[in-house]
Amino acid sequence: MHMADALISPLVGGTMWVATAGVAAYSIKKIQSEMDEKKIPLMGVMGAFIFASQMINFTIPGTGSSGHIGGGLLLAILLGPYAGFLTIASVLTIQALFFADGGLLALGSNVFNMGFFSCFIAYPLIYKGFMGRGYTTKRIFFASILAAIIGLQMGAFGVVLETLFSGKTELPFGTFVLLMQPIHLAIGAVEGLVTAAVVTYIWNARPEILEGAASGRALGNVSIKKVVAGLIAIALITGVGLSWFASSNPDGLEWAMIKTAGTAELEAPDGLHQQLSDLQTKTAFLPDYSFKTPEAETELSAGEEEETWPAISGGTSTSGLVGGGLTLALAVLVGVGIGLLKRRKYRTNS
Amino acid sequence: MSHHKLEVKDLHYSYPDGHKAVKGMSFCIHHGESVGIIGANGAGKSTLLMLLMGVLFPSQGEVCVGDVHVTKKTLPMIRQSLGMVFQDPDDQLFMNTVYDDVAFGPRNYKLDEKEVEKRVLNALELVGILHLKDRAPFKLSGGEKRAAAIASVLSMQPDILIMDEPTAALDPKSRRKVMELLTSFKHTKVITSHDLDMIFEMCDRTIVIKNGEIAADGVTSEILVNAELMDACGLEIPLALQNCPVCGITKV
Amino acid sequence: MANIMNSLYNMRLLDDLSRQETVIHKLHPLIKLLTTVSYLTVVVSFGRYEIGGLLSLFLYPVMVFTLGELPVKPIFLRILLVSPFIIGIGILNPFFDHQIYLLGGIEISRGWVTFLAILIKSGLTVTAALLLIATTGMDRLAGALRMMKIPRIFVLQLLLTYRYISVLMEEVARTLRAYSLRAPRQKGVHRSAWGSLAGQLILRTFDRAQRIYEAMCLRGFTGEYHTGGFKEIRVWDLSYFIGWVFFFAVARMYNIPMLIGSLITGVIR
Repeated sequence: MHMADALISPLVGGTMWVATAGVAAYSIKKIQSEMDEKKIPLMGVMGAFIFASQMINFTIPGTGSSGHIGGGLLLAILLGPYAGFLTIASVLTIQALFFADGGLLALGSNVFNMGFFSCFIAYPLIYKGFMGRGYTTKRIFFASILAAIIGLQMGAFGVVLETLFSGKTELPFGTFVLLMQPIHLAIGAVEGLVTAAVVTYIWNARPEILEGAASGRALGNVSIKKVVAGLIAIALITGVGLSWFASSNPDGLEWAMIKTAGTAELEAPDGLHQQLSDLQTKTAFLPDYSFKTPEAETELSAGEEEETWPAISGGTSTSGLVGGGLTLALAVLVGVGIGLLKRRKYRTNS
Repeated sequence: MSHHKLEVKDLHYSYPDGHKAVKGMSFCIHHGESVGIIGANGAGKSTLLMLLMGVLFPSQGEVCVGDVHVTKKTLPMIRQSLGMVFQDPDDQLFMNTVYDDVAFGPRNYKLDEKEVEKRVLNALELVGILHLKDRAPFKLSGGEKRAAAIASVLSMQPDILIMDEPTAALDPKSRRKVMELLTSFKHTKVITSHDLDMIFEMCDRTIVIKNGEIAADGVTSEILVNAELMDACGLEIPLALQNCPVCGITKV
Repeated sequence: MANIMNSLYNMRLLDDLSRQETVIHKLHPLIKLLTTVSYLTVVVSFGRYEIGGLLSLFLYPVMVFTLGELPVKPIFLRILLVSPFIIGIGILNPFFDHQIYLLGGIEISRGWVTFLAILIKSGLTVTAALLLIATTGMDRLAGALRMMKIPRIFVLQLLLTYRYISVLMEEVARTLRAYSLRAPRQKGVHRSAWGSLAGQLILRTFDRAQRIYEAMCLRGFTGEYHTGGFKEIRVWDLSYFIGWVFFFAVARMYNIPMLIGSLITGVIR
């Protein structure tokens, strides 16, 4: 459920980056003030473990399918929420860079969806709530499953909202939610089961590892007040972002509302894009529709939003096709040219 | 040069679960000595090394490096003069290039970058892997990893080298190379190993540990040939000294 | 499992590529990071139906590929593995948007245009990220992050995760091999072994972290991570950045393919 660069708008990506950076900065401050430098190599190596653990297929009885360790919740249980969040962040960073899972602009959203909800909501409010009265196998079982499901549901809903606010796809809200939430219910249940099995084993073998995280001595202490304060701050940031979105494009927020209700057609010009095309209208000095005037074509392309599109003349679209093909050919030609030049240089050198 | 001596006085250590790993060890290692520490699995070798390095602190007794006691306060100083090479180089090479790894120690002591570079290149030259300086650790062979791990310690310019199983998991040629390398160093050396042939070749003195106590401490060529002692401590005499199975010549 | 080992191979390939010495590799890492981020922002800022303008942005990856002397095939293969999530989301578009659009005389549904835009964007963004790492490498990128004042703790932890991925993958692979040799007819790990198999791996990971921590402390680690000095940003680095940003801005504001196209068709007429 990695959010991808291709589906996100700069505004949504940026907002989520700010939110994630805020949570990360707070977590780092927390770890530094606890003076627990021992945690640093542990976080690093556990991050690598989360990667490696993707190799393990946990067979789900009676279904023939298999599940994996998800990460967020298990890391929060083993390392505490702050270290867990930072570890997830570095795992997702490496995935974005090397494996093209997600992307650099969507990284903020991904860390938030997969890290924040499980480390700062599901872990402290649900898991720790259960464990407050001490560890038992039964409690580990229920707490893990419930926390995993809730964490993943929130994360999946985050993906839905981010995608819709970005407006790069035409999927209606209702359909999207119906697609995402049930799938993640199943994924969450499996992750919960695996997490429960692992935590139970560690609780039996080396209970001190868990108690360090759960009793709130070292790093596990999350005050609910701070979580709530954090959420309010994030809501504010998002709100400011959204109002900017709305003011730059009055239809935007209305659209979001209608979408959330799940009724109207998707008709949303991108906020930032609208601004850019406004800028473009200002910079284009010959707003005239004729074939040979390049600036006019620019203006046309800038205006090729929803309203104008179906009315675009055949001539324009033909130029578009021709130009598109030529641009690609030109790009490839430049590449081939440089390649040839380089090879010749090698030959003369050698 | 008495300030390079390593002295252990009546050392005791118990783990939190109550297991007594070290029970009253005392010895003194002098400048330039090369000492092998041997013993069966679980005899207390690793615990002893951890106590020497100040990773663990003794429940009774003390460790002195030169004339300085190993305590929390003196650790930064102690760790500059003691360099430890770990058994698994993957634990020691935690950075992403050989250069950064060898530079990790000097940078922590806030040397300026020119001095760091000088030390790194010097250390890599010494172990003969200067050409690998920009490699990633996972690109190195077992022997190269070992050499890089040794270089990462040499760049700190220690007086005493402490090595945990330096020849473990190496093929015969790489093992020979590492041994030649270590012999070429003038440092005081403390080596723990199950590779008794290596100890026999490289160390003049051997300390045998059994159940957390020192069972023997003396000249290697006398201790390692003592079949009775070796057997009692869960060891055996080095292969090089055993009877030849082909020609049947009795060596001891 | 084969898939993950494949990822590991891919990671090592990118690491190898990043150790070349071409014009692009020699650029300042921070400059490359900033250029990549600007590129991504511009690509992503295009709307749902704007395929035309996107096409001129192909120039950037093509230039980096050739100047950086990177092999096209392995990286291209990686790009083809577009995340199923994107395809899943994209493929639904044609079902929800039936507005007809006339493209050179052919009628197509606007949903397909959106789908195509998503695919192109996905290809471009994925390529840009892979190119960044293939020409910079993790250690130099970490240096760039430090220059941007990203806290030491996070950078060090990121480097450690990267360093130990291959070590732990081998460890997990060994454990799974041992398991499968004694459980020949099972596809994955049976429920009875879930906790102990993964749990033991985690405990071993904790022990390894402890040893690494000791190794770090023995070399003077006190919670601070010191990178060496930073490379200086040269005029050439700056002009590379400014040049691209200028091109991105122009490509964003003017539909270059449309300009070329209308020029050509206009001349023909």
